[in-house]
Parts: sequence; structure tokens; C-alpha cells
Amino acid sequence: MFSFVVRRVIYLVIVLLILSFLTYLLFFGGNPGNIAAQVVGRNATAAQIANTRIRLGLNHSLLYQWWHYVTQAVFHGNLGTDFQNQEPVITEIKQALPVTASLTIGGAILWMLLGIPIGIQSATKPRSIRDRLSTIFALTFLSIPSFVLGLVMLYFLFFDLTDHAHLHWFPSGTYVPITQNVGQWFVHMILPWISIALVSAAVYTRLMRASLLDVLGEDYIRTARAKGLPRRTVLFKHGVRAALSPIVTQFGLDIGTLLGGAVITEQVFSLQGIGKLSLTSLFSKNLPVVSGTILLGAAFIVIFNAIVDVLYAVLDPRVRLS
Amino acid sequence: MSATDLVDISDPGGEPAPTADAPAKIAGRTPMQLALRRLRKDKLAIISAVFIVLLILVAIFAPVITAVIGHGPNVQFPNTGLDAFGTPVGPGKHFLFGTDELGRDVLSRVIYGARVSLAIGIGATLISLIIGMVVGIFAGFYGGPVDTFLSRFMDLLLSFPFLLLAIALVARFGPSFQLVLYLLAFFGWPAIGRLVRGQVLALKEREFVEAARSLGSNNLRIMFVDILPNLLPLAVVYSTLLVPINIVAEATLSFLGLGVQLPTASWGGMISESQNGSLYQVAWWLLVFPSIALFLVTLAFNLLGDGLRDALDPRSGRSQLGK
Repeated sequence: MFSFVVRRVIYLVIVLLILSFLTYLLFFGGNPGNIAAQVVGRNATAAQIANTRIRLGLNHSLLYQWWHYVTQAVFHGNLGTDFQNQEPVITEIKQALPVTASLTIGGAILWMLLGIPIGIQSATKPRSIRDRLSTIFALTFLSIPSFVLGLVMLYFLFFDLTDHAHLHWFPSGTYVPITQNVGQWFVHMILPWISIALVSAAVYTRLMRASLLDVLGEDYIRTARAKGLPRRTVLFKHGVRAALSPIVTQFGLDIGTLLGGAVITEQVFSLQGIGKLSLTSLFSKNLPVVSGTILLGAAFIVIFNAIVDVLYAVLDPRVRLS
Repeated sequence: MSATDLVDISDPGGEPAPTADAPAKIAGRTPMQLALRRLRKDKLAIISAVFIVLLILVAIFAPVITAVIGHGPNVQFPNTGLDAFGTPVGPGKHFLFGTDELGRDVLSRVIYGARVSLAIGIGATLISLIIGMVVGIFAGFYGGPVDTFLSRFMDLLLSFPFLLLAIALVARFGPSFQLVLYLLAFFGWPAIGRLVRGQVLALKEREFVEAARSLGSNNLRIMFVDILPNLLPLAVVYSTLLVPINIVAEATLSFLGLGVQLPTASWGGMISESQNGSLYQVAWWLLVFPSIALFLVTLAFNLLGDGLRDALDPRSGRSQLGK
């Protein structure tokens, strides 16, 4: 087990190094003069541009620059400075991360609570009315892009209620830090949570249904029933438990992706999270912030993948051998 | 799979039951014919297929249709399309779907948006299909280190963060139609490749491969002439399910400003415009019509893909759990 974890961590570090190099190459590889010119502004003289190039370290070789970037990031927590307001990128990320984390964790709890029970229901009674209804539920929400769902919810549950029906069920404004006021934090997050959860719940419903149907078709389920175990025990202890592994994989991927920026939901609900930060910086050509957020997102994904792998190895000893 | 479906296979057409004087006529049917028979009973899938064909026609003949309506997609109608206060006009006689903030016809833009959605949705899927089939066949057929390398590579790509890469690429190259197309094609093929690989692993052990080899076929011929046709049904199903994913992804990118750029009409772009300054609060039609279009086409492809999958795979879902 220990050697498995060590191997997995080494692999993780290598992937992160490759990813960071590719990201760096993509952003700063092209034309260093051009980047410097963007930073100093339109009316800068050639000398100012040249000085800025040196100040930003763009005159060194790309490999050196990248190594400098990586060591700064790892040993000093320094991801460079914002081109526009000269703030350290890491400060901006630290401000945005709680927003994204609130959104992701709350949303994940909600979609698991919705998706898994519905999926189990429909797999135990395939082709029943309940199964058909859950298929309709799943296909409907799979077919609504999450930004459309978010906007429609904003329209009906926020603007319509507040402006026309004068019901103030959901407050205006965006994120309230959980450290400041837990109740306010919660009510402000309800709509974003629902919007992020419904689409994912549909995915998990489908996944759970397919996976459980496969498992329930196995002979050992019949054996367990034949030796007299109650239906519920067989369903949950033998069936659901074995059917969860694709769910775990998907969950790891989704959490990693969303922590690196729930771009769509953050954009729709104007939440100042990592995704929104990345997007706004992209449009203002603020490269250090974009590359910082993207690296962070990639790191989250790779790390959560590794966690899933280790979890697998804990759950299923066969994995360790391969 | 219920009892009625099982009867289908032995007695697919409801032919007269065998009697003493007239012995049962047994019609030989290929698996494809059987699948089509099952598909024909799936009304939702058929309606979806018809809808998709109609929409493709609408997209192809968009210039003709908008010429008949009399409003081009990018033509502004400041006099009829905007009211005295310069705000958009709602759905009515002149503009069936209303107008947007520049006085353009929303209906014409929705029609032209279908072009972008379908071109990218279907185009990217086709590219993914070709790459996925070729890589999957090679990985499955050769096995060993070739398989390990290609499979690892596909796994790596499958875990790539889609939106992050999109943002990174747009930061470098600027947004464009082509970028969206290639990006989606790039993200779509590993899923198909993995699936095809699994199928090929099983198929290459079959007798017909042995037979082809004894007739002197080389590897390339076996892979692409003998094995490939057996993969097509599965590939078609998964491509049908990949199209709606690509359509939603295109709309999402355009919504975020990373995809097709204005003034080209795309559904995601239109929805994004309607969110600008919360305009859709006063002009709901700006949000509703492109959203409905997007929802319907995605749902149609999902239903069709689901129907195709059920038709091709009748064995799924026999529970051993009992009552």
C-alpha cells in the first residue's frame, strides 16, 4: 500500500511539472516583447518596454523562466503579480477560493443526495413508472445547458419573485463569507447550488442506474438471494456497494474540475470565484492571473485523480497489484 | 428487458402463429434489421430523428428562409424593430420571436444559430469519430505496449479540464469558430477510442479474423475491412450521444465569450447578449427562444441516441435481485 501511494505521488509530481511547463509555454512562449508592451501600456517607449521585459524576467530563456516560476510557486507561494493592479496573484486566488469551494461542496452534497437515490430506485425496478420518470428527469436536465438553467432560475426565482410577486425568498447580491454570517452565506448560495446540482444529479442518476443494473445482473447477486439474505441487504451490501466505483471516479473528476473554477455558475450568478477570476483576467489579457488560476485548476484535477486512485486501492486490493 | 421484448426476437413482425396446416415461416433477419425494428417502436426516438432532419434542413436553407421572412440575421431594423424608447420589440406580427437590443430579428438569428450549433456539433463529432476509431482499432488490435501507450494517452486526455484548456487556448490564439471545432473534436475522440478498443479486443479473437488471415489478408486489411464494419453500430450510437454534448459545449463557450464571436448568430452568444445588463428581465424572448432551441435539439439527440442504444443492445438490465 505504502509503495503504491509513493508511486502515485511521484507520478502526480511529474504530471504537474509537465502541465506547468505546457501552461507556461502556452502563455509566455510566444513573443516576450509583446507581453511587455501590453504591461506598460500603449504609449510606452521602446526603452520602457525593454526595461519591463527585464523586470518581468522575460529576457531569460524560457526554461529558466519556467523553473523560476515553479520554484517561486512551490517554495514561496508566489504565482507572480497581477499585470493591472500589481497585487500578488496568490492573494487574488486566496480571495476567490472560498467562493468556489462553497459552491462546489454544497452543490456536490446536493447532487449526490439527488442523483444516487434516484439512480438506485430506477435500477431496482427497470422499466417501471418510477424508472421512466427518472429517465425523463435525467434526460431533461442533461439537455439543459447549466448556464440556461441558471439564468432561467434567476429569472423566475429571483427577478420575477422579487419584482412582480414581491416575495423576497432569495436575497440580492452575491457571496457572503461563511465566517461573516453563516445564515446569509447559506441563503445566498441556494440558487447557485441548485443550478450546479441539477445537471450533475442527472449525470449521476444515469451513471448509478447503468452501473447498478450491470451489478444486479451478476450471478453472485442471485447466489446471495438464494442463500436467504433479505432483498435490502443484497441490494445495498452486495449491489450498491459494488456499483459505486464509477461514481467515485466521476466524483473525483467533477470535484477537481469544479474547485479549479465553476466557471459557468460563477459567471451566471456573478460569484467572484476562481472561474470568474480566470475569465475576467482572460478578457483583460492579464496573463499571470490566467496562468495562475489554470495551474491551480489543473493541480486540483490531478490531485483529486490521485486521491481517487488511492481510494480505489483501499477499497479493492486488486488495484495495487496492477 | 421485459417478457414482451423477448417475444420480439423470436417473433418480430407479429406473423401468424404456426398452426398444423401452415408451418411457421421463419424469416432470417440480420442484427441490424432487428435493431431497426426495435427502434421503429420507440416513438420518441423517431420523433427526435424527424426533428433533427427538419432542423438540418432549416440550417441548410437558412438564407432562403430568412429571405422569405425578409429579415437577415444581422440586419438592424431601428424603425420597426425598436420602440420609441429604443428598447426591443416583443414577439408580434412583424417579428415572430421579437427583436434584440439592436433591432435585429430574433427568429432569423435563431435560424442562423442552428447552423453554428449543428456544424460544430456534428462536425466535431465526425472528426472525433474518425480519430477515435483509428486509434481504438490500433490499440485494441496490436495490444501490448502499443495498447498501453495509447490507452494511457486517452486516459490522460479524458481527465483534461475542458473549460480551463479552452480559456488557455483562447488566451493564446483568440476565440474563433475553428478553435471551438478542433477543441471539441480533441476532447471527444478519447471516449470513442476507448470504447472501440474494448470492442476490438473481443472481435480480434473471433473466427472471421482467423479466416481473413488464412486467406492472406494483412493486418491493415483485417483492421479496416474486416473488423471496422462490426464496430459501426456502436460507433454510431456513441456519436449520436456525443453530438448533444458538443452542441452544449459550443453554446457554453459562446456564452462565456470564448466561442463564436459576435455578430455571428449563435445560441450561446445570443443568450449571453440577453444577460448583458440583465436585458432579459424586460425582454424575456431574448433568453427564451435561443434557450428553447438549444434545449430541443439537445433533447432530440439524447433521445435518439438513447433509443439507438436500447435498440442495438437488447440484453441490458436483467436483474437477478428478485422480488
